[in-house]
Amino acid sequence: MHDPAASRYYVGMLRNTADSWGAPAKFFHWVMAALILAQIALGLTAASWRLSPTKLELFFWHKSTGMLILLLVALRLLWRLANPAPALPSGMPAWERAAARASHLLLYALMIALPIAGWIVNSASNVPFRIFWLIPLPAVVAPDKSTADLAALVHGGLAALLALVLVAHIGAALRHHFVKRNTVLTRMLPSAGRAP
Amino acid sequence: MKEIVASAGLCGLLLAGAPHPAQGADWKMDPAGSRLEFIATFEKTPAPGVFKEFDARLRFDPEKPAGGSLDVTVRVTSADMNIADVNKEIRGKDWFDYAAFPQAEFRSTDLRRAQGNRYVARGTLSLKGVKQPVEVPFTWTASADGATMEGELTVKRGAFGIGAGEWAATDVIGADVQVKFKVKLRKAG
Repeated sequence: MHDPAASRYYVGMLRNTADSWGAPAKFFHWVMAALILAQIALGLTAASWRLSPTKLELFFWHKSTGMLILLLVALRLLWRLANPAPALPSGMPAWERAAARASHLLLYALMIALPIAGWIVNSASNVPFRIFWLIPLPAVVAPDKSTADLAALVHGGLAALLALVLVAHIGAALRHHFVKRNTVLTRMLPSAGRAP
Repeated sequence: MKEIVASAGLCGLLLAGAPHPAQGADWKMDPAGSRLEFIATFEKTPAPGVFKEFDARLRFDPEKPAGGSLDVTVRVTSADMNIADVNKEIRGKDWFDYAAFPQAEFRSTDLRRAQGNRYVARGTLSLKGVKQPVEVPFTWTASADGATMEGELTVKRGAFGIGAGEWAATDVIGADVQVKFKVKLRKAG
């Protein structure tokens, strides 16, 4: 049954190539995109909701989702490091390349920093919490009101920054598609086929 | 005149108490070695708290528990759940309602041996204006300088209106609250 050549072929299909994204990279991109948008909505709603069971429920889902995102971004980074990204379109000006690189780095940094800042808020405010009711979240800092307030401020600031970078990211993708008419957007679509 | 009446009343009480057979020794709590915890749940995760101030008085003979009595007074306003926002919230009417019900009590005159060093005190818990029959199981461990009572029981918060209104729902804050106690006792007098 086992055919090493076929296995290599299928594994090879999963990897990124010079001009296309493999399935795992697309999976990470779109699943995390959905989770991050849901996460922003949950966080904003939870923070502004009056104290009630609903507010606690919203925070519970926000925190659980945040920890899921942290896990996914770790796996995604490993995958990304083992798989160079497809090349940017030729003829892209240097400043655009620099901006693309900087914004992608910033997105990764924020996907890591935001959950960690949230984790610090949770630890410092000493709220008992199990991720999706299952895994107890260990405390990373001692309970302290001023630490919790500071971390919450940082968390909110980073979230605002993330929203800005996302607008730039989506705007740039749309510009690639509609203005520059290249494949940067379409090659990330789940349905994008690959040359054999 | 008033004092004489009061004294006479007191004498009457003492006399009324006197004919009873020995009901065991009187015990007083040593606050330093005692602890009263309550463990609520938040999204199915334990959320522990303590009552920092409480007192227990006991008349008890471990060999002959019948005829004994247990009185526990809890200063509800000394509750501490270690989360600033929660401590603020539980003062309110929906939770402990500190203003109206600063104190809770458990009184039992029905102490029985279950097995070995395990006993049960059946009595009434008065909490937030509600009286409910409650069974408090405990172990008794005698030591050189006194004795230790230890035990735990589960209380339904809803029965006492702890978490009223929308908080009565039990999916976020669970229905059961585990109460754990360790009471260090010394013979009184």
